[in-house]
Amino acid sequence: MEWIITAFLSLWLIVSTLGTIFMKNPVHVILSFLSAILAMAGVFLQMGAELLAGLQLIIYAVAIVVFYVLIITVIPWEKVKRFEGIYKQELLWGIPFFMIAFGVMSYMTLKGKFAEPLNVLSGNNVKDVGKNLFTSYLFPFEVASVILLIAMIGAILLGRKEE
Amino acid sequence: MSVEKFYLILSIFLFLSGFLGILIRKNLITILVSTELMLNGINLAFVSIDRMLGSTEGQVFALFVLTVAAAEVAVGLGIIIAIFRLRGYEGSSETVHLRD
Repeated sequence: MEWIITAFLSLWLIVSTLGTIFMKNPVHVILSFLSAILAMAGVFLQMGAELLAGLQLIIYAVAIVVFYVLIITVIPWEKVKRFEGIYKQELLWGIPFFMIAFGVMSYMTLKGKFAEPLNVLSGNNVKDVGKNLFTSYLFPFEVASVILLIAMIGAILLGRKEE
Repeated sequence: MSVEKFYLILSIFLFLSGFLGILIRKNLITILVSTELMLNGINLAFVSIDRMLGSTEGQVFALFVLTVAAAEVAVGLGIIIAIFRLRGYEGSSETVHLRD
């Protein structure tokens, strides 16, 4: 049963990833990306990371995708249409690189030894992640808010109209 | 082969697909979408290794990756709009000057 869900989700994920890379129209690219994100949330649910699946849906599938669509509506459509599609020559060079890198890294993953399991979980994913986040990783959590503030200021500065 | 190892290989596929997308796409917006794919691949690797080891550190770091992705999208799309306002919209091969 687990492998049936895995096969379904991974097929969905692979198809939408290929669509994201190779589709011509930018709007279709963003829709494929949204589909890939939904498949990824399903994968997180299957892996037992419920909190991350919910955050994936809230942050990626709502905030970021809406932001992309907003930008596409701001930019005039003829200028977006002028540069769509892919570079053929780079694709010709990129495919062998992709194959070699994927083969080597998959071989290392399959043959390598992994660390031993710790098994300290209580079974409640949200509780475990929250406890770890607000005790061991409290300072990086605070720094993340500063990063978001600086990104907001930068976006406002970059996006304002020149006089 | 366990499900976790399969998902690790899938995350390698996602990361390399995002990299290939950065290399071959013409449109600046789609290049940014490809970087999002790379970040998603990293998140998948974190979560599957978490499941393998039975810990939660990977999910915490995946949370930080989500934060950085949101910041990166805000700044990146701001830069894209600035490029577009400056010289009209350009393809990725023609945007080679830092100013003017």
